[in-house]
Amino acid sequence: MERYLTFALCKGRLAFQTLELLEKIGIHCEEMKDKSSRKLIFVNEDLKLKFFLAKGPDVPTYVEYGAADFGVVGKDILMEENRRIYEVLDLSFGKCRMCVCGPETSKEKLLHHEKIRVATKYPHIAKDYFFNKKHQTVDIIKLNGSVELGPLVELSDVIVDIVETGSTLKENNLVVLEEICPVSARLIVNQVSMQMNPERIKKIINGLRKIV
Amino acid sequence: MKNSLLHTPEGVRDIYGEEYARKLWVEDVIRKQFGLYGYEVIQTPTFEFFDVFSREVGTTPSKDLFKLIDGEGNTMVLRPDFTPGVTRCVAKYYHNLSEPLRLCYQGNTYTNTSSLQGKQKEVTEMGVELIGDESIFAEAETIALAIESLLAVGLKEFQISIGQVEYFKGMCEAAGINDDTELKLRDFISEKNIFGAENLLVEAGISEEHRNRLININDLFGAIDILRSAKKQADNKRSIKAVERLLALYEILCHYRVEKYVAFDLGMLSKYNYYTSIIFKCFAYGVGDVIARGGRYDNLLKQFGKPAPAVGFGLIIDDLMAALNRQKAEIPEESIISVIYNDDNFQDALAEARVLRKEGRSVKLKRM
Repeated sequence: MERYLTFALCKGRLAFQTLELLEKIGIHCEEMKDKSSRKLIFVNEDLKLKFFLAKGPDVPTYVEYGAADFGVVGKDILMEENRRIYEVLDLSFGKCRMCVCGPETSKEKLLHHEKIRVATKYPHIAKDYFFNKKHQTVDIIKLNGSVELGPLVELSDVIVDIVETGSTLKENNLVVLEEICPVSARLIVNQVSMQMNPERIKKIINGLRKIV
Repeated sequence: MKNSLLHTPEGVRDIYGEEYARKLWVEDVIRKQFGLYGYEVIQTPTFEFFDVFSREVGTTPSKDLFKLIDGEGNTMVLRPDFTPGVTRCVAKYYHNLSEPLRLCYQGNTYTNTSSLQGKQKEVTEMGVELIGDESIFAEAETIALAIESLLAVGLKEFQISIGQVEYFKGMCEAAGINDDTELKLRDFISEKNIFGAENLLVEAGISEEHRNRLININDLFGAIDILRSAKKQADNKRSIKAVERLLALYEILCHYRVEKYVAFDLGMLSKYNYYTSIIFKCFAYGVGDVIARGGRYDNLLKQFGKPAPAVGFGLIIDDLMAALNRQKAEIPEESIISVIYNDDNFQDALAEARVLRKEGRSVKLKRM
């Protein structure tokens, strides 16, 4: 019997964009479109495929341990989690930028090596950027949401976060001070599945590669 | 007793009872298998001077090493793997390498890995080193031994993927890529990151023809057929030679009758600096990481002042156990016979136990 191939998708918009993309190469999952369904795992019996939704940062974990063969997740999460997976495709949606942001007045503080405080949901990315690229000493404060508050209530000098349109920043008088890297959705693959199931997996990757 | 005293630090754990019995059984079977191939046992120290595991010879970044300072202020390291230690030992004690040397080891290794990723910091490793033989027969022997060891303990679904760094290096050389770009490209290709590799090569100004050849390395993994297309795509002698060596290796592996478990991956480029030509990794369902890795490391002995070709592999027993459990492999359990006695008939019970023990049975005396 053929093994199921499993996709782990991020809850939310990314999942729908992924399904749209998969439909273009003939992979459907009607079950998943039914919003009233309370199922956690969705199956396409004809193609022997399974799908499930998970929280973003957990997607690379499911893929690393082989609970899912494929995953679709933002580059920001991949950089933060640093898991042993194959990152095979840039799906070129979910585009945004990882940036250092803050009030205009903080710009000065990034020019010297003076110690500053950085609030972020991405402590690893922030640490790597300031320590290894900028060689600036920083205190990193991990926050779990509404990171923009950091500079406003003077918890931190700057923040490291993803910026999509920049409207939240603008409304709060914050600006992008430095860009760390561009971010977009990536297709990731479990290393064992890739090695043990090369034909099926290559077929899906190459199919997607042609249309992104 | 305070409850806080009962904890073990993160990344280490107690293994006891049936679980440990199973692990020991697996280790026994594998050690016997190594013995059947004529490998002699060797034991090296658990910690050694930092330089033995330093960047030039090491496998593990310095920040992931457990370090100790001795009374004189020397930095010492808990071994993250066996190969550098065994190699140092060979350079020190084995002066005559006119005949190939076959050594096998067994013990725990230590890496101070990032926390909360579900990985153990202390694991048991077993492996072999075949030193002083530069032929493909040596490579085939170690790969076949790895496969037969895994089969002997009952693992069924696994695959050894073999790569050859020289293929990639030849293609880089032909494309005229500088060392810096080559290093970055190596990372992208070992992660099978096609778009990353493409961007890098466009930025480096590599011609489209060479770019496509290099990007194609990403697709060169799978069964033996991929070697044929790899050979077709190769545009230089070095790469062609690399593929030819793999084809010859495959032929010998067929004689060993293990080809069923073998696949190839020319995009597999180990981050380990010391591997020089072929490398291989063993993948099994149910485990997040590879359960065995190995390859040829012809330059490592030179670092210790004694140049000699060498090939070897290491199995991570704890990950192998996880794979065996996932694949529901059967491991024989030793049953223990209870002989019951009371204050009056102890002598009879003891006599009975003695007879059984002489027959090789496990017996425990139980007082009622």
